[in-house]
Amino acid sequence: METALVFVEIKGEEPRKVSLEVLSELRKLTGGGGYVLEAVVLGNLPERAKQNILVYADRLVHITDAVLDQYTSEGYSLALARYAESTKPKLIAAGATRMGRDFLPRVAVLLKTGIASDITEFLWDEESLKFIRPIYGGRVLAEVYFENRAGIVTVRPNAFPLGTPGGVAGEYVAREIGMMPTEIKSKVMDSRAAAKEKVDLTEADIIVSGGRGLKAAENFKLLEDLADAIGATVGATRSVVDAKWREQEDQVGKSGKTVSPKLYIAIGISGAIHHIMGMDTSKLILAINKDPNALIYDYADYGIAADLFEVVPVMTEELKKRLGK
Amino acid sequence: MNIVVLVKQVPDPEVVIGIKDEGKSLEIEQKFTTNFFDEFAIEEALRLREKHGGKVRVITLGGDKAVEVLRKCVAMGADEVLLFADAAYLNGDGYATALALSKATARGPFDIILCGKQAVDDDRAEVGPMVAQFLGIPHAGGIVKLDVVDGKATADFMSDGGQETVEIPLPALFSAQKGLNEPRVPLVTNVMKAMKATIPRITPQELGMSTDEIGVSGSKVRADRYRLPMKRRKIQMIAGEAPQAAAEAVRILFEVERAL
Repeated sequence: METALVFVEIKGEEPRKVSLEVLSELRKLTGGGGYVLEAVVLGNLPERAKQNILVYADRLVHITDAVLDQYTSEGYSLALARYAESTKPKLIAAGATRMGRDFLPRVAVLLKTGIASDITEFLWDEESLKFIRPIYGGRVLAEVYFENRAGIVTVRPNAFPLGTPGGVAGEYVAREIGMMPTEIKSKVMDSRAAAKEKVDLTEADIIVSGGRGLKAAENFKLLEDLADAIGATVGATRSVVDAKWREQEDQVGKSGKTVSPKLYIAIGISGAIHHIMGMDTSKLILAINKDPNALIYDYADYGIAADLFEVVPVMTEELKKRLGK
Repeated sequence: MNIVVLVKQVPDPEVVIGIKDEGKSLEIEQKFTTNFFDEFAIEEALRLREKHGGKVRVITLGGDKAVEVLRKCVAMGADEVLLFADAAYLNGDGYATALALSKATARGPFDIILCGKQAVDDDRAEVGPMVAQFLGIPHAGGIVKLDVVDGKATADFMSDGGQETVEIPLPALFSAQKGLNEPRVPLVTNVMKAMKATIPRITPQELGMSTDEIGVSGSKVRADRYRLPMKRRKIQMIAGEAPQAAAEAVRILFEVERAL
């Protein structure tokens, strides 16, 4: 039987949502059998995460070497490459998170294989295995394939739905891979979590983003209130971040984050191309901008060409009513 | 301190892109610029040299037009530049590109390698970590701060939902994220001088590489065809005074789209 290996990233007590999305999608694609779907966790594995992963995979391999408790690109790439060398999976997949995109290119070099980064589709049939990856900020889709049999892919968060777990829990295997502390030269000095515990933009189901139309940093309170009502994450445009109204990590666009939420509400955003490149794959887009000719309306499903300061508070109230808040 | 900067010339983000040969290739308007993230890498290299002394070497893999990005680096203050001079180098995947760049880097001494966190055309973000692995050195990706003291670097980068600081002994590679610095604008006199500078080129043979290791031949990932993303349906504007439009939008989100 062939193996499809999925690197599962742990955040806090849980696996990253995108890791489970990748497992769900591969389960669907390999459903006909012939494949072992294997989740691999490096370092710390909280019990809750373990139980959560087991229902999405046939096997969970937990590599327990102590040096892996702290993420380093060197440590993770060596450990995963060593493990993969021993099992020769047909495909290695992971979420295209900061971590996944940081160390998997190194794994590709160690295994002398190719990597397709940030893919949004699998084209998997009997004869071939191909992938779609957006290039030029999503303005073009490239269909790519591996020259060799095996390869590595990182998968864009929110590109695939989270499946319902299989029901039968997979097998759990813990093992050491024999990592020496001297093999890792970089040292993590400090790791600060963001002040607020919130869903990262790349994994958010709903995003409420603001642009220059908000006029001042304090007016983002309107967006925060709207976001709180519907469990959304607040994003921002480049000009808003450059003006220091919002943090860099909130930026959606070419020089910020690429997002694909189920719902993207663009408020006071003109629709500059570098912003569009970061959010054009959102499933549903509602734009609010008082200029009826704003570029954003070329990329949205619904639009309200009225003053955001009048529209947003009413929307927040209406949403709260609907949700019984 | 020996600093190497890897840069890329990319199509301007607003160029017209078309698809031709029944999806087999792309037609891209010939208007170029320096990759957005690479400017932070060049600037950081120049600042490190100003503080610690040494030399800044800039390398690019690109066609003849890529001479422009190197002239810009010369104008900004780079000491040496190098262009890959063979069409066979072009259109490779991350692997082939990183292999060639790592070989060119290793032709001279290096303590620090800087590059942008990703190229905004291919959006791969693979070459930085891959060059580091080919050279067997550590890297830190997407950094927003870099300090070097006694052969050790301290770098800050944004993680998903926080910020981290790492300490890395040199030699090491760092990829630059927006926020690392404010790239300088070169003086007009330096731009004029850079126009006349000789841009050295290197062939695959000089690099000790065979043509099947580079470009498309050396690639492990191949592009089969291209297509344009599906167009979004035509927008539906929600009419009415602001409060009515707001209420109608909420109704649509719940009842029509079932998005909430």
